[in-house]
Amino acid sequence: MKKVKERLAPFHITILIFMIQTGVVIFSLPRLLAQNFGYNGWLAIVIFTCISTFNIFLISLVHRLGKGISIFDILENSLPKFVAYTIYFVMISIWSMLGCIVAKQYVIVFQMIAFPTTHPMFFKALVDIIAYLLITKGIYNISKAATSFFWIVIWMVLLLTFFIHDFEWGNLTPYLFKGSTSFLKGGLDCYTAFLGYEIALLLIPFAENHKKFIKAVHIGNLITAITYLLVCFVCFGFFSFGQLTRLKYPLLDLLSFIKLPFIERLENLLYGFFLFTMLITIVMYCWSAIETLQRILPKVKANWLTVFVLGTTFLIAWIPDVIGKVEKWLQFLGYAEACVAFGLPTLILIILRIRKGH
Amino acid sequence: MHKPILFCSILIVMFGIVGCGDQRILEKLGFTHTTSYDLLPNENNGTEDKLMISVSIPKADPDGPTKRETLTAVSTTSKTAKIMLSRKTELSLVSGQLRNTLFGLTLAQKGLWEHIDTLVRDPAISQRVKVTVVNGNAHDLLVKDYLPHPRTGKYIDRMLEKEGKAQTVPHITLFEFTRDLFDDGIDPVAPMIRSVNEDVVIDGIALFNEDRYITKINSDKLLIFSILRGNFKEGELSVDLKSEGEHVMLSSLVSKRKIKVQSSGHNQFSIDINISLKGSILEYIGNLHLSDEMDRKKLENSISEYIQIEMKDMVTKMQKSKVDSLGLGIRIRNSLSYSEWTNLVWKNIYPNIEVRCNVQTKIKDYGKFEK
Repeated sequence: MKKVKERLAPFHITILIFMIQTGVVIFSLPRLLAQNFGYNGWLAIVIFTCISTFNIFLISLVHRLGKGISIFDILENSLPKFVAYTIYFVMISIWSMLGCIVAKQYVIVFQMIAFPTTHPMFFKALVDIIAYLLITKGIYNISKAATSFFWIVIWMVLLLTFFIHDFEWGNLTPYLFKGSTSFLKGGLDCYTAFLGYEIALLLIPFAENHKKFIKAVHIGNLITAITYLLVCFVCFGFFSFGQLTRLKYPLLDLLSFIKLPFIERLENLLYGFFLFTMLITIVMYCWSAIETLQRILPKVKANWLTVFVLGTTFLIAWIPDVIGKVEKWLQFLGYAEACVAFGLPTLILIILRIRKGH
Repeated sequence: MHKPILFCSILIVMFGIVGCGDQRILEKLGFTHTTSYDLLPNENNGTEDKLMISVSIPKADPDGPTKRETLTAVSTTSKTAKIMLSRKTELSLVSGQLRNTLFGLTLAQKGLWEHIDTLVRDPAISQRVKVTVVNGNAHDLLVKDYLPHPRTGKYIDRMLEKEGKAQTVPHITLFEFTRDLFDDGIDPVAPMIRSVNEDVVIDGIALFNEDRYITKINSDKLLIFSILRGNFKEGELSVDLKSEGEHVMLSSLVSKRKIKVQSSGHNQFSIDINISLKGSILEYIGNLHLSDEMDRKKLENSISEYIQIEMKDMVTKMQKSKVDSLGLGIRIRNSLSYSEWTNLVWKNIYPNIEVRCNVQTKIKDYGKFEK
């Protein structure tokens, strides 16, 4: 195992989890909820929070039964190398591609607002360079950066107070989850907005305080849930239901409504702030991929692995070139990641159980 | 150690320079301020309707001969027209500063959605762009220069803004129009204007069924409509109590609306619209003494009665035209279960529901003069 000088405080873990979870899906989440859960779909966030809390509970079991040992050690000690490496390969592919496609999606939406004809891959390259600089600094510095980014982003929740005047309770209607709904498939689409907490599995060996580690992950997940709940609740009351189902990115529309006496069309500026949460999402998924790759290739320097992972995914990101394709990729990677989020801790728990039996 | 930093700096500068590709230079841009849409009369029985689209672009140059530029094109869609318009000017036309859209009456009668759809789809266009209906031809109104009011586009925009604050016209933007259009319990409305000699005047409020203009509220009843449509602060209402030859002017009005829905059996609904009004009287012509409490009570009652009758007339007119501009459907919907609401064809029931209007007026003060 790599020698770690500095460890992550619970506060940093909380913020890191929040920042990984908050990604590009938040822009379309209110619409996804309206389309798939119908009237008052925002309440489905509570259900998702319960599911993610249960998933974190699984991670807490891994943490407790594994006694704070890295999951890689557990896997490698119990599984044949071939099997372990196959699992690693799947994890590396999903994580690195997820980080990459999140960046591409952010860039494509950004280009709807500004620089529409510049090649998206140039912006993607810029994001990747920043990501590279962060990843190579190690997890402790990433978490410090995440904490400062957090303050740049979280104040935006206060902007929701702008909508108190135009919020209409009548838009909420008394119906719960009625209309044309798709709980299962649509639910999975919405749930991808919550993903990111599973990275906590990799953070176990870096935690400073093992007792407070899981609590910190739970709090991070709760902050995400509360933010989502507030944003979606405001969207459901501000837009009429029919309108909400037709808006591609309701959050962008919501932001564009804010007008200050000296400035309007703030969404262009505010969308820029979201780069910071996106960046941490991208960085952490790539970091996870690189950490895993390091187990397969322990002798190669981490910096070269970073260049390799970012470079390869950059080339692959060239393939989906229009918004529809990028969204499709993101959707499927989201499904795959949901499987990893549940599958990985379950697998490790089974291994731990068997080992205990022996 | 310095090598990667140098390498990255070069890369960043390199990519930064590429960003210069999508340049926007202020002096070379024509910021469309107002756009007008008109439907041209169908010539030669052609199948496709032609649109006449005009834009008004304020000029930044203070010493220039004109304060604004207007361009007109005839085309089938608004974006095609934009290309045609751009052929007529040295400026690149951009719509980020668009403030108002004017729709001619004939186009409004045919339906506005396909034009509004283009506007809400374009990320450059703000949701706060106003939607206005012109009683007549929108192009003529926009291109005309009104001598006392320079820059027609800005003049109309500011007038609507100001009147919106005074509650005479609702503040209708792309956001509000789309919100009401896609809500199954309310129909959109929009302010209506008209050109009269050297001025543009508020002509009333256009009422829509879905996206089609149906009828309008006349300009002398604007505040009654505002009272019916929702809560507001700060309005002025002039009341002619004709039978008694009295005239009252209520200022600083604060109006609150409460709606109660009662269901009496199968698809039978009755609605109570309860209004409480509070205002100051700054003008009164009549025989009553405002300083006398009994007289004030009398006056309050007659004002309430007057508004009640006006409101009832207005609601009946809307019911006859099948336009639910007050959002009564939202209240009915929210009082029913989901299956009851989906089985109900609201537009068919709406004309037959019983609507009762109750008004309570309170005179807060009557100025600084006793008798």
